[in-house]
Amino acid sequence: MGAIITLSILGIFLLYLGLYRAKNALLPVTIVGALVALGFILFQWNEEAVPLYHGMVLFDRYALAFSALCMLATILILLLSKEYFRTISDNIAEYYCLIVFSLMGALLVTAYHNFAMLFVGIEIMSVALYILVGIRKNDPSSNEAALKYFLMGAFSTGFLLFGITLMYGAAGTFDLGELRNYVMTTNEISPLFYGGILLLLCGLCFKIGAAPFHFWTPDVYDGAPILITAFMSTVVKVAAFVGFFRLFSMVLVPLSEFWTPVLLTVTIITLFVGNITALVQTSFKRMMAYSSISHAGYMLFAIVSIGAASAPSILMYASAYCLASIIAFATLIAVKRKTGSEHFESFNGLAKREPLLAFILTIAMLSLAGIPLTAGFIGKFLMFNNVMGNYNVMLLVIAAVNAAVAIYYYLHVVVNMYFRDSEEPLEQQIPLTNAYKVVLGIAAVLTIAFGVYPDVILKLL
Amino acid sequence: MSVFYLVAFLAIFFALMTIFTKNPVHSVLYLVVTFFTLTIHYILLNAQFLAVVNFIVYMGAIMVLFLFVLMLLNMNEESEPMKSNLVKVMGAIAGICLIATFLGAFKVIAPNNEFVVGNAEVGLVKNLGKVLFNEFLLPFEISSILLLTAMVGAVLLAKKEVKKI
Repeated sequence: MGAIITLSILGIFLLYLGLYRAKNALLPVTIVGALVALGFILFQWNEEAVPLYHGMVLFDRYALAFSALCMLATILILLLSKEYFRTISDNIAEYYCLIVFSLMGALLVTAYHNFAMLFVGIEIMSVALYILVGIRKNDPSSNEAALKYFLMGAFSTGFLLFGITLMYGAAGTFDLGELRNYVMTTNEISPLFYGGILLLLCGLCFKIGAAPFHFWTPDVYDGAPILITAFMSTVVKVAAFVGFFRLFSMVLVPLSEFWTPVLLTVTIITLFVGNITALVQTSFKRMMAYSSISHAGYMLFAIVSIGAASAPSILMYASAYCLASIIAFATLIAVKRKTGSEHFESFNGLAKREPLLAFILTIAMLSLAGIPLTAGFIGKFLMFNNVMGNYNVMLLVIAAVNAAVAIYYYLHVVVNMYFRDSEEPLEQQIPLTNAYKVVLGIAAVLTIAFGVYPDVILKLL
Repeated sequence: MSVFYLVAFLAIFFALMTIFTKNPVHSVLYLVVTFFTLTIHYILLNAQFLAVVNFIVYMGAIMVLFLFVLMLLNMNEESEPMKSNLVKVMGAIAGICLIATFLGAFKVIAPNNEFVVGNAEVGLVKNLGKVLFNEFLLPFEISSILLLTAMVGAVLLAKKEVKKI
């Protein structure tokens, strides 16, 4: 709870800093505030978790671990933002404020214990993002992305709310604990409850960008500023997924026979749509958008075969995915600043000009593809292991085929960096600020560390 | 009961008119009427607060805003984008499936279900306030952040950027 209060106050404080034009203080203050909030979260780690405020939020270890992950990812992204926002507009304070509020919404979604909090959390998270996506006011693609995201998001929230209403109509409560009691003890579960599950499933699939509810993802990720895309595809996606998983693991496990076929279909479609469309992309950013769809599919494995091992494997997968995405988008920002393009060709010959940057991006790509010795491999391994435990051979085969397809497009950029020559002269280097070096270094080291010694993460939950 | 059926019929009728009419301004006006019939429903259910909010906010503020935007956009039949028939058919099938599912679900509910009958006084402002400021205090307070976010965003998007060169 301390973290949520800290972030709320931090957001308002940032607005005041913007009012008094203390532009240089913005980034340090935001990062210090986020670190304080992170401190609150870590401090709570060993305390016994009880639902707070009439059962509204529950900061158990599961919520704390994912909150910490979201915050770390946000801090890394914020470190990249120093020069980035200044090139877009003058009102930098508001952007930091919106990112902080969005992070607060993400924390609420990870820790909710009542549907009212789920709704408020998802809305805070999304409303801030609708604006952040559209902050390049003069760029038509940014405007289109913002409008599309807003309309789709509002629509999916409608589904979510209708689902919640139907569940309330059946069980008479918004509280997850009481809903679990209802599911466990009632002999004949009302048909309304099943309708509610389906609608909630639709709404949440929209938010995590799983097919067939993924149509907004590529355009929005493509149109948004790169840094915001990084925030969306890491923090927001993970938080929405955690909310999804929390509902299903706390309440709906006894009804798994009902929703598993639906979710299984969604997972399979998501995997194929994400991977096959990613194959034909020529823009790196758009490729990352489709790859994020396919990663949502892999993360859904944990819900399809829900069990005790699901939560640690999601944490592992989400950490690996966040770190690798941050590296990929940070490199893209640097490359785009130099070449002005997001296409694969702009990565040509990067290995000769910037060997270290190319090497780090290679690590990230290998992690996303799931090659051993990186965190991504452990994540994929755990997800496959979950599915194997349920003897779901068909899903396993499909997943393996998709993983093989994914390697092709992830290595595309690596091939471009190492084996294609750029037309530009070799001396033209990409200037990297210290913040970039720190972020890329931390993310790369963590990716390798989690890949070599995964117990650091797995022992947490 | 007969009042209910009359109002329910009017609600469905005007909702259908909202979809079927060709002129967007007429469509919005029918939507206003639909909201008005819903307000009557709320009053019949003794949910006074909801009725007032629905009347003032939805019918009053939001729909008038809607109307203004439509007039500013100056839409007419020619500017309507053509939708392919395949999409229409798919949409119709999906929508009918959804309706069928929910009609089935609603049909099974017994009318004497305690949540359907409920507490007749639950919609009064006094009871709502008690719940809002006691059990649901945290979501109520955090909603202020939601509103603040929306406000910051609206100002940010609407403000003219001064370009310093």
